[in-house]
Amino acid sequence: MQLEVDIARKAFTNAAGERLDVLSDFSFTLGAGEVGVFVGPSGCGKSTMLKIIAGLDHDYQGRVARPAGARTGMVFQEPRLLPWRSVEENVRLVAPQADEARLSALFSVLELTAHRSHFPGELSLGLARRVALARALAIEPDFLILDEPLASLDNALAARLRDQIATLVNGRTVTTLLATHDLEDAVRLGDRLFLLSPRPARILTELPIRTPRGARGEAEIAAIKADIARRITGDCTELDA
Amino acid sequence: MLRLLSFTVFLATWWIAALLAGAERLPPPPAVLAAIATEANSGALFFNLGVTLARVALAFTLAMTLGASIGYLMGRVRLANRLGDPWLILLLNLPALVVIVLAYIWAGLTEVAAIAAIAINKLPTAVVTVREGTRALDAALDEMAKVFAIPRWRALRHVILPQLAPYIAAAARSGLSLVWKIVLVAELLGRSNGVGFEIGVAFQLFDIPLLLAYSLSFVAVVLAIEIVLVQPFETRLSRWRPRAA
Repeated sequence: MQLEVDIARKAFTNAAGERLDVLSDFSFTLGAGEVGVFVGPSGCGKSTMLKIIAGLDHDYQGRVARPAGARTGMVFQEPRLLPWRSVEENVRLVAPQADEARLSALFSVLELTAHRSHFPGELSLGLARRVALARALAIEPDFLILDEPLASLDNALAARLRDQIATLVNGRTVTTLLATHDLEDAVRLGDRLFLLSPRPARILTELPIRTPRGARGEAEIAAIKADIARRITGDCTELDA
Repeated sequence: MLRLLSFTVFLATWWIAALLAGAERLPPPPAVLAAIATEANSGALFFNLGVTLARVALAFTLAMTLGASIGYLMGRVRLANRLGDPWLILLLNLPALVVIVLAYIWAGLTEVAAIAAIAINKLPTAVVTVREGTRALDAALDEMAKVFAIPRWRALRHVILPQLAPYIAAAARSGLSLVWKIVLVAELLGRSNGVGFEIGVAFQLFDIPLLLAYSLSFVAVVLAIEIVLVQPFETRLSRWRPRAA
């Protein structure tokens, strides 16, 4: 269940016909069950990278070896729910084998129980994001890709969902990729942090966190955050923008 | 209630026009009603309506199934679109009469020729509409289906078809009205039964009450199908959309 990524170059051609490099010399490996977190400025190419790794974009130079035979779950930056199916049908569509007990537990943890029969058009963005998360978790993934899953949620809920993701990742062997610009998410969830440069994105620093997720104290978390903040400002002032 | 009022106005206008124009040119409602009753009693009315309806159903189903499949393919695959486009433009602009006459010449005055000719007339509009719908499919949802490895048929049913539904409904709506119009021409030219054939007979005999009897019965059937089948179907398709005020 190891993930090996080696993207030599990924470029887009914009409407004016110019080639824009989005990723260059982007390589890392992630062991089974590890949580890799990508921290970088918005627009640096995180989503592009995740799409390549998810197998949705084949137009790049390089090589990606995904965990073989892994069930993949993904939370996109936008919820991407089917507007014509209810919340429950959206989840069941990707996880037809999920039994009622597990779905109920999942809905109750994500506080979606009251919304099971609602259509996505009737939900707030925060609720829709939770449904997207429920959908990715319902399939009991071996390989989980999270693209800013907690953006635009209030702090209390974001913290609860973060704990939820942590519980899931601890409970089973789930190789996880998380893109975020929130250091709190990064430090509380990650086993290894990758700090990215602005476009074209490269990995500036790889930062392993040795203490297991559950055992990290507040002081340690604060220290790591301070360390990251220092490295980021040292390496690249544009990250403040 | 409004529908009833509008129908009453129609009847009144007809009656007054009949009085002004004279029963020779435009028979009043009771004369036409009598003609309908005679045809209904002999069973000819229901037989001819049934035959026409069966032709419509077959040609419509054939054209929709083929048209939607070809339209989807042309919307998805660029090569298919390049190859199919000249044919599509040809068929779109070919007069219905040409298709019907050629079909009868090549396949004989048979049922197959009639239904094929009607279907071919309807096919290109279905292709064009569904192709537009396919081009407008949401790539973000395709990616979602791909990442979660939703099997092809499940994705077609739950992800693709709901997006195409408004286009298919539009194709069905415009296609049905086209088929209603063309089926009578096809029957007039090459069949020995059906509403189109009876109208042809009435025309030759200058029997205006009979002509109107068949025309109006036919219109009544079209309206009934619209109200009983098409409109509830459209409502069901759009039930997930937030209600307009």
